[in-house]
Amino acid sequence: MLDPLQASLRIAGSGMEAQSTRLRVVSENIANAQSTGGAPGADPYARKTVTFDSEFARGAGASLVHVKRIGVDPSPFRMESDPGSPAADASGIVKMPNVDMLVELADMREANRAYEANLQVAKQSGEMMGMTINLLKDG
Amino acid sequence: MSEVYIERLAAQNAQWLTQRQALIAGNVANASTPGYRARDMAPFASLLGGAPIVMATTNPLHMAPSPEEPGAARIVESAPGDETLSGNTVGLEREMTNLGDVNRAYTLNANLKRAFHQMLLATLK
Repeated sequence: MLDPLQASLRIAGSGMEAQSTRLRVVSENIANAQSTGGAPGADPYARKTVTFDSEFARGAGASLVHVKRIGVDPSPFRMESDPGSPAADASGIVKMPNVDMLVELADMREANRAYEANLQVAKQSGEMMGMTINLLKDG
Repeated sequence: MSEVYIERLAAQNAQWLTQRQALIAGNVANASTPGYRARDMAPFASLLGGAPIVMATTNPLHMAPSPEEPGAARIVESAPGDETLSGNTVGLEREMTNLGDVNRAYTLNANLKRAFHQMLLATLK
């Protein structure tokens, strides 16, 4: 059986990995908030989404987390009138990505907060191991 | 009153605390997993007090729970607080509070163990 403290380190690590993937997807969305298609009337960048799934850790009785899927947001694109753009169709309309800055920023903050919580768990698990080891020092 | 085996009690408590730590880690890691239900350990007192749940044996050939483990630690679902739209019941604030509790209790446990060791050594010196 896996030592529960080592298991918590691993679980917290999986949490941090999942949250950093989420942050990567958010940064991808923000960076591409203005990426239009190349040809007239072509589809622009579609917002990406990330979903998590829990995965049972054998012997620990607790669950790891992993990224289940990086999907694509199916919501409609924004239509903007910009006849000068190379991606504009015959009537001067350009399809803009379906990225909402406010949503992305909220998601980023949430990922940040969750990462911090995982880091705290990892830090404390390490400290607890240290306490046990210190018993040998001046027992 | 039955005898109290201090070392064993301390070890049992440390084990319970580390298992709780693993559960907290799992809850925090799955803070944004759809449909994940937060879990916690049954209180430590439930390990000590009274008889654990024992399987009924109607035949002497039935398996009996090993006497080494009086009431193995149980995992329960945390009291449902705020459930998000995706069916997740993890409250990060609650988990952080539990984390603090575990830290405090584990420090106490480690320090007590050190005191026991010193007492034991005092009889040898």
